[in-house]
Amino acid sequence: MRMKTQRTIYFSLAILPLLTLFAAPVHAEGVSAGSLIENTATATYDDGDGPPKTVDSNTVVVAVDELLDVTVTSLDPGPIATNPGQEVLTFEVTNTGNGPEAFELTANPAVGGNDFDTTIDGIAIDTNGNGTYDPGVDTLLTGPETTPVLAEDENITVFVITTVPAGAADTEESDVELTAEAVTGTGAPGTTFAGEGVNGVDAIVGLTGADDTATGSFIVGVTTVDLTKAFSVVDPFGGTSAVPGSVITFTITADVTGSTSVDDLVIADAIPADTTYLAGTLTLDGNPLTDAAGDDAGEASTTDIAVDLGTVAGGNTHAVTFDVTID
Amino acid sequence: MTNFVKSLIALVALTGLALPAAAQEQPISLAGDVMMVKTETNAAGESTTKLVEPKTIVPGDRLIFGTDYSNSGSDAVENFVVTNPLPAPVRLASDADPELSVSVDGGKKWGKLADLTVASDAGEARAAAHADVTHVRWVLSVVAPGAKGRLEYPAIIR
Repeated sequence: MRMKTQRTIYFSLAILPLLTLFAAPVHAEGVSAGSLIENTATATYDDGDGPPKTVDSNTVVVAVDELLDVTVTSLDPGPIATNPGQEVLTFEVTNTGNGPEAFELTANPAVGGNDFDTTIDGIAIDTNGNGTYDPGVDTLLTGPETTPVLAEDENITVFVITTVPAGAADTEESDVELTAEAVTGTGAPGTTFAGEGVNGVDAIVGLTGADDTATGSFIVGVTTVDLTKAFSVVDPFGGTSAVPGSVITFTITADVTGSTSVDDLVIADAIPADTTYLAGTLTLDGNPLTDAAGDDAGEASTTDIAVDLGTVAGGNTHAVTFDVTID
Repeated sequence: MTNFVKSLIALVALTGLALPAAAQEQPISLAGDVMMVKTETNAAGESTTKLVEPKTIVPGDRLIFGTDYSNSGSDAVENFVVTNPLPAPVRLASDADPELSVSVDGGKKWGKLADLTVASDAGEARAAAHADVTHVRWVLSVVAPGAKGRLEYPAIIR
């Protein structure tokens, strides 16, 4: 019996120069980690003796290793307009590697350039997938705050629950960063964790460094209303003395300041004692209003007046006047 | 002795070495291997490529599949065709020899890639692309006694 094993390896020189043209693209959605690449060549030939013969090569097998990659993006359309109190930022964490991986989450409220810093109350996963933080349903993660294992290309919505401090002033802004890091490890692209991938393949850090950070923002919108009340007196003799029969004109000015608006702003006042409302004298910004209710923004009675301004944006000023006579 | 040799042959066949199943009757042997193309950039920004053992491979990496053939017999063989199905996790690299005979339909029809088409979803034929290639093959009319050679194709991990 003759046994002969021959493995002659020499490379085709004609192909090698072409290699320099090549730059490896990295696809976010590659074949799954642990996939086996099995290659077998088969030869058929005639040896002049009977039907064509067939022979197979050995099968070379290599397993695809696990790329560790992740992206984090803010799902908020822009800075969240907020008042002091609890607010929620929304992020998406996507496993862009090619194998199952969990990611440790870190929220950083102290970002350079912040006008103020929020405090982080916790990080929660959108467990019911509705895109909205539901207290009691989307429970807070406990440290180390880590996502469930995400399949390749799987993404989850993450909420960062924060408190905007009481001292935050109108138009001040604050950023919060959310960082996700592969639990297996992070590092420079190409860093290898031998045997730590799925099914014992190597895990290798991809182009993202196996970590990513996104920023969510708050902008404080505190809008205030200042009311000032003034009066002027005209007596029956053309002077300004407050005597029976004198007419007092009250002017109530509403000064709305801030970056947002106020809703349902109503200016109301009681008719002072020992005076009588002078019917038909109610005005808003110089325009007369009827005393009747329901036909315009104002109404007046013998006891009080009210003017409904509705929604008023910051930067606007409105003036209400009415007259009384001194009894 | 006989049993020992038999089990040795079985072992060798299982491990997939390039041993013909019936050594006396098969003058042709094929030996497959795979190497990874590693590109390294030095501090000066010059990149060099080299072939290394595919220890750690990830999507996007480039592999060279090679098959060494040899005719250890005393006679020439004719109509020598080596067919190599592409493993599903790889695609043919775009700088593969344009003259290479390929199939995009599982080995039914063969030709240069530029001459092949595939049916698109709409039913219309479109030009075949490297990612469509399912098989490659090499055709040699004669392999002389003692002749040997190497066949290679480059692939990218999908």
